[in-house]
Amino acid sequence: METIKWEDEHIFQEVDSIIEKYWEEKSPLLCVLQEISLRWHYLPRPLMQHVAEKLDVPSSKVYGVATFYSFLETEPIGQHVVRVCESAPCHVRGAMDVLSTLKRELGIKEGETTRDGKFTLEVTSCLGVCGVAPAMMIDQVTYGNLTPERIREVLTLYN
Amino acid sequence: MKIKTIEDLKKIKEEAQQKTALREGVGDYKLVVYMGTCGIAAGARGVMSAILEEISKRELKNIIVTQAGCIGLCDREPLVGVEKRDGEKILYGNLTPEKARQIVASHLVNGQIIGDWVVSAQQ
Amino acid sequence: MAIEIERCQVLLCAGAACISSGALRVKEALVREIQRNGLETEVTLIETGCVGPCNLGPLAIVYPEGVFYQKLTADDVPELVEEHLLKGRVVERLLYQPPTEEKKKLVEEIDFFRRQEKIALRNTGFINPLSIEDYIARDGYLALAQVLSTLTPEEVIAEVKKSGLRGRGGAGFPTGLKWEFTHNAPGKEKYVICNADEGDPGAFMDRSILEGDPHSVLEAMAIAGYAVGANQGYIYVRAEYPLAVERLDYAISQARDYGVLGKDIMGTGFDFEVEIRIGAGAFVCGEETALIASVEGKRGMPRPKPPFPAQNGLWEKPTLINNVETYANIPPIILKGADWFSQIGTGTSKGTKVFALAGDVNNTGLVEVPMGISLGEIVYDLGGGVRGDKRLKAVQIGGPSGGCIPIGNLNVKIDYESLKELGAIMGSGGLIVMDEDTCMVDLARFFLEFVQDESCGKCTPCRIGTKRMLEILERITRGEGKEGDIELLEDLAWKIKTTALCGLGQTAPNPVLSTLQYFREEYEAHIREKTCPAVVCRPLFRAPCQHACPLQMDIPGYVSRVKEGDYLGAYQIIREDNPLPSVCGRVCHHPCESKCRRGQMDEAVAIDDIKRFVADYARQNKISLPVVMERRREGQIAVVGSGPAGLTAAYFLAKKGYQVTILEEQPVAGGMLALGIPAYRLPREALNYDIDQLRAMGVEIKLNQKLGRDFTLESLRNQFSAVFLAIGAWKSVPLGVPGEELKGVVPALDLLKRINLGEKVEVPARAVVVGGGNAAVDAARILLRMGAEEVHLVYRRTRGEMPAISEEIEDGEKEGVIFDFLMTPLEIIGDENGQVSGIKLQRMRLGDFDRSGRRKPVPIEGAEELMKCDLVVSAIGQVPEADNLGERMPLDYRGNIAVNPYTLATSLSGVFAGGDAIGKEATVVNAMALGKKAAFSIHDYLQAGEEEEEKLIEIPKVGAIEEPPVMKETPRVKAPKLSPQERVCGFAEVKLCLSETDAREEAERCLRCDLEKVMKKYQQLALVEEEE
Repeated sequence: METIKWEDEHIFQEVDSIIEKYWEEKSPLLCVLQEISLRWHYLPRPLMQHVAEKLDVPSSKVYGVATFYSFLETEPIGQHVVRVCESAPCHVRGAMDVLSTLKRELGIKEGETTRDGKFTLEVTSCLGVCGVAPAMMIDQVTYGNLTPERIREVLTLYN
Repeated sequence: MKIKTIEDLKKIKEEAQQKTALREGVGDYKLVVYMGTCGIAAGARGVMSAILEEISKRELKNIIVTQAGCIGLCDREPLVGVEKRDGEKILYGNLTPEKARQIVASHLVNGQIIGDWVVSAQQ
Repeated sequence: MAIEIERCQVLLCAGAACISSGALRVKEALVREIQRNGLETEVTLIETGCVGPCNLGPLAIVYPEGVFYQKLTADDVPELVEEHLLKGRVVERLLYQPPTEEKKKLVEEIDFFRRQEKIALRNTGFINPLSIEDYIARDGYLALAQVLSTLTPEEVIAEVKKSGLRGRGGAGFPTGLKWEFTHNAPGKEKYVICNADEGDPGAFMDRSILEGDPHSVLEAMAIAGYAVGANQGYIYVRAEYPLAVERLDYAISQARDYGVLGKDIMGTGFDFEVEIRIGAGAFVCGEETALIASVEGKRGMPRPKPPFPAQNGLWEKPTLINNVETYANIPPIILKGADWFSQIGTGTSKGTKVFALAGDVNNTGLVEVPMGISLGEIVYDLGGGVRGDKRLKAVQIGGPSGGCIPIGNLNVKIDYESLKELGAIMGSGGLIVMDEDTCMVDLARFFLEFVQDESCGKCTPCRIGTKRMLEILERITRGEGKEGDIELLEDLAWKIKTTALCGLGQTAPNPVLSTLQYFREEYEAHIREKTCPAVVCRPLFRAPCQHACPLQMDIPGYVSRVKEGDYLGAYQIIREDNPLPSVCGRVCHHPCESKCRRGQMDEAVAIDDIKRFVADYARQNKISLPVVMERRREGQIAVVGSGPAGLTAAYFLAKKGYQVTILEEQPVAGGMLALGIPAYRLPREALNYDIDQLRAMGVEIKLNQKLGRDFTLESLRNQFSAVFLAIGAWKSVPLGVPGEELKGVVPALDLLKRINLGEKVEVPARAVVVGGGNAAVDAARILLRMGAEEVHLVYRRTRGEMPAISEEIEDGEKEGVIFDFLMTPLEIIGDENGQVSGIKLQRMRLGDFDRSGRRKPVPIEGAEELMKCDLVVSAIGQVPEADNLGERMPLDYRGNIAVNPYTLATSLSGVFAGGDAIGKEATVVNAMALGKKAAFSIHDYLQAGEEEEEKLIEIPKVGAIEEPPVMKETPRVKAPKLSPQERVCGFAEVKLCLSETDAREEAERCLRCDLEKVMKKYQQLALVEEEE
């Protein structure tokens, strides 16, 4: 996992260039936060503070938006985010078994990150691949028809 | 390319339809090459290649070439069926790549059925 | 010269579902193999959006033939390319095979596709979503061109209004009206938004359209922009749909390059731009005012309406919001006209609707069907029915705001109003099929947890109200529900419905209300009996098999004993809850096995066969367990009838210490077990052994004692402290056709009784049995054994709907019973002597769905048939012979004895009833369970007012062996059977006992679900150790 050195000027420059990209927008806040989180996997406090100053919005508002959406994280998370779909079709077809397999395999509970910083385990709302339920999403890739066997197989791709 | 008028759009549509015609199943002619084990053994693959070559050389449009398995006339292989959109179906037999080229030239281009090679015809 | 003509196109579904099951690996293999065979110029590989049947993915269609290949892996590809693409031979093994039919080759042959009518999905799964030319070839952007060059905005709106299109996102508001409101709203600056925040669990049609046909949405948005007067559009897509964002992004830049978006579109002077906004995982943003807030970069919280977005929307400007599917309908409406569109569908719901089929259904995926199709048709004709051999229970429609429709309503027409009447909604079109293994309380809890989680917190009813409701539901599913909880839930639900701020809150209680409406008894079972009928709510049981057993037997207990070779221990555990192990080991329909967890891996443990092995072991070794009673108690109890219900009640009452007398009308004991079930299924020595054990406990069985002749209900009530009526159901329901009075027409039970009593019965040459239950199959098989030349079994529905045990049906078929399905008797024909000579039958076909969720057989006009026969056996149902009970005994409308379902008490004090006589599902084990229940009720009745004294004898209990299982991948052991030829020669038992080795091996397959809690402790300990 990349450690962020806050004294490093170029990080803030990078944020500035993101803000630049959305400068023309009427309300760039959410887009900027999404891009920051894509880059650093979460929203570090100093960066949120920086964004608030640059966009001239109260930092409470930035924090409010950041905590409202489940795809935005305010704490450091693992290199890969494993999101288990917990919607009804997956539930009916065994999402709970998927979750318990992942918990066992990764040795963490939902909302936690493995000690090596590799994986964060989350549950999520519908991933929209109900036809192949139960499903999960690792970063941007969706996996369906999960069985304990297949979960182990998929996890090896990230190890 | 930039569409500047509605006519441009229609032109692009016509060109693009050549590509989707295969899926829509609409062509002026549909050629069926019978490629069961027997057909392949008798040289159906060569016949198919010759047909494709000839069609491409002559830049013929709206023609679908497809394959099918054995239809039980193994002694007449290689067999090629030519189906016109209006339903006329001609089955040619004992073909060679050269004969196949002539079928394209005569039947598809000029609408002339080559009677000598016909196995069966169905209106 | 290289061949440059394309003769073949392979469409590979690259929808998200197929990708998640490995479509990309298949694609790589296809590219490689096509190249290896030198077919690059002849064959084109096209990646399309979702084709629909996601469960069959990864899938491909080969054109021009249109051959449909399914469940592809990279390993299948070399064969596919060489055989089909090179040699033109269809690869049979990769074709789709519907559950009950032959393999299907072509797309157009498959019901799943055939029954659909595609408007919104017209291009999805057919074109390459990355190719704007593919879209244009299919009339893409032609509607926009037409609108911009020939129509005024008012004319466009008029056309959309006339089409009758209603919003496909959930509420079903007329789309044209929305357009008109936005058009008429004052102001120069206006916006068009596409709501692609498809948050309803189970709905994914919007994703599919965006991924498979992004241009159709862009085109429609531009049309909408022109109509309402907007030049800027936003598409708000969920963050969970990265592929949709990618394809949309690509499509937008393509559209700009081609000049169909941007400035001066197609030279008409109209400008329109589209931008994507990505949501960040908040369900409430699907609500339009919340979505607008989110596009504005704020927290996505709804605000009260009015003002509606049409007046005051994005940045307080008039804004049109429609959902993806709604937009996708627009271009065809413009091109083909409003009249074409409005002739599809029903009076108030026009056009088609896309549904996302998910859950326990064979074909999952997307289907687009005309409005007005019935729910049953979707589940069975398109969905291919329920997975495995489970039964359909309900269909959930409309996501968390929707409701459950039980199987009794499969005829409901899919339109906005009909669904609403049943307490569901069209919603966005999620359709989750649920089988008998779904617990409705758990489902309601699940949905509520979802809305509670997604509640934005702005208004109190939603924030606090749903939390309270969730707490109650959690309590119920934990087995801590209280009387009054249901009423409290209902009260809260109605309060939230009427006071919440936005649509999410107002509809949040719907799943609870609809499950309460149709499955109230399931809630009651959780609260009053602490049972989960679907065997889902884990805190309520030790092991699923035990919970599914009507007798609640400690199955893991005796199975673990068998595994260790301790058969005596196993027998003791079985006898604890079941006085008739030899019987149950043979004729039980074993609901335990259908809930066995092992069944989810490979096959269920053969619990029933193991039980039989133990029972046979006990009999062969003459094991008689010591008679242990809790204490001697005052009170003499009469049990009328010695069938499974009577014997079981007697057993439990005797164990309590009561003096029990069974009165049996027939000269043998056992009731239906002795006289209904043939000896080849239940040998008499096995039955008698179980009954002898009861006698050894002091139960007195008086034979030849007939109610109404030798005693009356009144005399029993005077003589005994309590009476249990287990008189069974011996009166056959008449067929109700002319000729029933002829010689040679007999009720199945009469026939079975006479044969089982050893009376002489004339052997028919040709017999016709009418009915589909176990009695019908038994009668048919026994007639064959007696020497009948030909035996037909005539049933009005199809095999899948027969209530008889499927193994018995199969056995009957092997032995030579001829099954004639979809036929019903019209008339029985007699000869001059009044003897049956034939039966006139009406051919049937399956029509609409009935209350049981099965298709109703309806006559095919003119299709009649005469079948020659000399015996007709009627077996279409039985009711109790209640005439002798006296006038004061209340019966229900079907002629069964009416009882309180919780206590089995009749309205006459001290008189209880159970078994088939009360008309419950008539299986042996269910009758026994009712006998057990009655025994406890009678005990409670006799003890009423007295304090329970201390038990005099502590009965030592044998428990399960607490050793976790070792996972072994062994298939289920099959008990040996006699060959069909051997069977029909006599009445020898068909199914044989497991060998000792087999029984122990089979017992080893048990996953020991009962140890889960214990194991969890072990695991935690192990984790702690690891950490230290």
